[in-house]
Amino acid sequence: MQAPYVLETQQLSYRFGDGTAILQDLDLRVPAGSIYGFLGPNGAGKTTTLRLVLGLLRVQQGQVQLFGQPFAPHRLAALRRIGALIEAPSLYGHLTAIENLQVLQMVYQCPAARIGQVLSTVGLAGTGTKPAGRFSLGMKQRLGIAMALLHQPELLILDEPTNGLDPNGMLEMRELLRTLNQQHGTTILISSHLLAELEKMVSHVGVIHRGRLLFQGTLAELQQQRPGNARLWLTTSDAAKTMSLLQARGLDAQRHEAACSVPLLAPAAVADLVRTLVREQVDVYEIRPSQPDLEAIFMDMVTA
Amino acid sequence: MNAFIRSFASEWLKRKRSLAAWLVVCGAFFTPAIIFTAKLIRHGHLAAESAQPTYWQHLWKSAWESMAIFLLPLGVILATSLITQLEYKNNSWKLLHTTPQRYSVIFGAKLAVVLVMMGQFLLLFNVGIYLAGVLPGLLLGVPYPAAPIPYAAFLSDDGRYLVACLPIVALQYLISLRFRNFLVPVGGGLALWILSVAVLSWQYGYLIPYTYCSFTFLQGQPRFAQPVALLPWAVGYFLLFTGAAYGLYVQQREKG
Ligand SMILES: Nc1ncnc2c1ncn2[C@@H]1O[C@H](COP(=O)(O)OP(=O)(O)OP(=O)(O)O)[C@@H](O)[C@H]1O
Ligand SMILES: [Mg+2]
Repeated sequence: MQAPYVLETQQLSYRFGDGTAILQDLDLRVPAGSIYGFLGPNGAGKTTTLRLVLGLLRVQQGQVQLFGQPFAPHRLAALRRIGALIEAPSLYGHLTAIENLQVLQMVYQCPAARIGQVLSTVGLAGTGTKPAGRFSLGMKQRLGIAMALLHQPELLILDEPTNGLDPNGMLEMRELLRTLNQQHGTTILISSHLLAELEKMVSHVGVIHRGRLLFQGTLAELQQQRPGNARLWLTTSDAAKTMSLLQARGLDAQRHEAACSVPLLAPAAVADLVRTLVREQVDVYEIRPSQPDLEAIFMDMVTA
Repeated sequence: MNAFIRSFASEWLKRKRSLAAWLVVCGAFFTPAIIFTAKLIRHGHLAAESAQPTYWQHLWKSAWESMAIFLLPLGVILATSLITQLEYKNNSWKLLHTTPQRYSVIFGAKLAVVLVMMGQFLLLFNVGIYLAGVLPGLLLGVPYPAAPIPYAAFLSDDGRYLVACLPIVALQYLISLRFRNFLVPVGGGLALWILSVAVLSWQYGYLIPYTYCSFTFLQGQPRFAQPVALLPWAVGYFLLFTGAAYGLYVQQREKG
């Protein structure tokens, strides 16, 4: 039997010692089998939320449920099914990559062969006797991910895991997470402050800002938020003349170098506009609605 | 129990090649190396010493002199702090505390690592004393010491020193679990150790938990006699501090 939500919080609130509310009434719901992007700008409360979920901070108000059970009384059972990487990876700097994994392997009692497997999964197979403290930032991050994957968790919690990865590393990471999700059914909760980094990968999104959840739903639902943002883009042979024609019609036109844009129009209005342009000897190369720009939606949410 | 053994094995691996591990080896051979050098320098006396019936007792006493009062307490202070510092320095409490282990197991396994390291230290120290006792003679062609090694007396001394150190281990463990900054446990430990040296000739010196190593060495000297049995007090302090350390550790609001 599988709970619909692998992770669920109810009215989760948190204050640090100084009394300012960091999280307020957070109702996080991570569906089983999803890749959940947890988005928010710096200081929004992402790390604090994940630390609460993992028991690194004591819950003050609200509830955390993992795998359909309250977390506190089932802490060990839940942790056995979770792999986590919170903020900068925790590595023992004087130990090699293999030894770092052995430290965990002894606790989780997984087969020793897993160590070689996860190392090659993250592309760190050949680091030999080099202590982890001398790894580059990206290598440390990769080892941190390997450590989170070692015991084949059902839920992977990654806090800004692409920190320090090169473009190729980011690509590999996305591939890796997609594969884990599709082939092993691993649920993945991944935080970031960049939507662009996640949008190609996630199925669900939660947007947090100043400790409040502003949006939660599927990626498609996010895309349908604020269609008012969408515009019609026109590329023509004479952008200046096009601009003045658009403005003459009382439209809120904007110039973008060779192109112009206006708010979305009804089909009849588009046809009429094209006729006018052609009549005025302006060649129309392209007319298209702008893709709803997720980053813009996100920025709009957190700056509102 | 299995969980504890696994946790211990994992903690023991972390200590590999760490500063704490080196401290044990270097600390154990430090005094024996000095004695060895002194014997080589004063090689004229070697033959006469070697024939004495109290050769080993003398050696034992001179090896323990600086160790009991000075090196052992400071070594324990450093080593205990270094073991917890492994987690702070690598920012890995958050890793350790998200492994599926009871807090009591994590707490106990780390403490056990410190205690086993102490045992390791005593073993190496005894080996060092033995080598300092026989190597100079071997090198200079002096006959092997005539007197037999009083194993039983030495072993019981080792045991008493081990127990005498327990309060230091426990209180240092408490402090170093609490504070991220390495200077707090080391500075605090140093202050307590200085205090313990200052109260050695005071009749209530036994109240200071860091005095037991020195008192164990000074036993039999009337000037430093204490009105209570030291080892039960040491064990009492150890249990008290360990209990307090565990309570504070479990209550910690932020676990990484
Ligand atoms: N230990 C702490 N004591 C007091 N305040 C804290 C502590 N840790 C975090 N905060 C505060 O909590 C707020 C949220 O921090 P958090 O680390 O959760 O943000 P974040 O969303 O992870 O940001 P980032 O993208 O920068 O990682 C911030 O205002 C931060 O100052
Ligand atoms: Mg963060």
